[in-house]
Amino acid sequence: MTSSDRPAPPRTAPVVRLLMATLLMALMPLAGCGVVPDLPAPVPTDVTGTARPEPAPTATGNLSPDGFGQAQRMTVRIRNIGCSSLSTGSGFAIDARTLITNRHVVADSAHLQLSTYDGRDVGVTAASTASLADLAVVRTAERLPAAPTLADHDPTVGDPVTVVGYPLGGRLTVTSGRVTGRTTDPLHQSLGEVLITDAPVEPGSSGSAALDAQGRVIGVVYAKDSTGESFLVPVSTVRTVLADANAFTPVPSCS
Amino acid sequence: MPTAARPVVSELMFAGSSDAGPGVPPRRHRVSRTVGALTVTLVLLLGLSGYLVVATHAHERASVEWHALAVRKADELATTQQDLDGATNELTAVREQLATATSRITELANEKAQIGDEVATQQQLADYQKRIGAAAATVASALNRCVTAQQTLIGYLRDAASYNSTDLARYSSDVDGLCRSAQDANTSLQTELTR
Repeated sequence: MTSSDRPAPPRTAPVVRLLMATLLMALMPLAGCGVVPDLPAPVPTDVTGTARPEPAPTATGNLSPDGFGQAQRMTVRIRNIGCSSLSTGSGFAIDARTLITNRHVVADSAHLQLSTYDGRDVGVTAASTASLADLAVVRTAERLPAAPTLADHDPTVGDPVTVVGYPLGGRLTVTSGRVTGRTTDPLHQSLGEVLITDAPVEPGSSGSAALDAQGRVIGVVYAKDSTGESFLVPVSTVRTVLADANAFTPVPSCS
Repeated sequence: MPTAARPVVSELMFAGSSDAGPGVPPRRHRVSRTVGALTVTLVLLLGLSGYLVVATHAHERASVEWHALAVRKADELATTQQDLDGATNELTAVREQLATATSRITELANEKAQIGDEVATQQQLADYQKRIGAAAATVASALNRCVTAQQTLIGYLRDAASYNSTDLARYSSDVDGLCRSAQDANTSLQTELTR
């Protein structure tokens, strides 16, 4: 069959072709482009978030067993009942049954009495003093509430310092200041240099722990001068004395 | 879609031409093919329309349910927010109470310490007074014995001829010893008084 024998293609009316084209154009975007919406998924009865919120407290609060901070819980008030006198001082725990204070706080004593931040009495089993620094160690019969850690190094000038103790034998007090320098011991009771701070202390603060910003012990308060400067036995000296088993001798009784 | 539709139409056209034979197909056949195509298209459109109606209704129902769920969740959120506000206020109050309690504990501990200091001081004073009293009693006793012995010695000396001189000297020495003891006791008392 030649091309001349092939029948002519059927012709449709222009109106019908236009109609069909319109219908096909109407169907094309729906079927060809996939815009026919699916049926909605069943609505759940409840929804939960994909990300579980993490607690983000706005304040750390005071996360101690009784609302007192570590610095307060470790501090001890010392009453030195002498043969003809009575004096008070401060001290702080370094472990469950040992506390550190100054030599002059426990000297000339007939009887030592300890009390904690919450007024509990703690018995004393032994007390001994160091000869190379104004330091003393007191052993207790009962457990002490808390003990800090000693800093690894002495602070530098400008570092913040917090002092916790019983100034004038009064209520437990926290004062703060900064390390202002180093000097030789003005009282000639300690070897090496001592630290100077501007943290306010008073008689009765002797033996208080001086803490850094992390709550570690950086020194022990032992003196003040008329200009308001306070003096600390640095923690390096404390560590040296504590490491020497022969550095301490028992406190003689005044009686 | 146009490329899929054209072969159908073309196939219909060829099928018709085979029945009608060579040449232009009759008008009746062209109309029937056109009607068939339109019918198929209409059926598709009707089916699509029906599906769209069903889908629309389903989406409306889902929308209503989602809205109800959102309202319920909003209510729960509001309730939780209220609970949180209440808990926050309560926490603030508890913190204030804790601060008050710790301050009071510190105050009580201080009061107890001051009382302990006072007791210790009073005890020291009592011990001191006890020592003073004991020393004063010792002084009084020694003085009494000294005075008594001196009076006896005076009596002996008034009648010295009746006594052995050696005995009188020994007794006088004993009296001096008693009175030195009284002096020593008095010195101890004065020392205690100055402490």
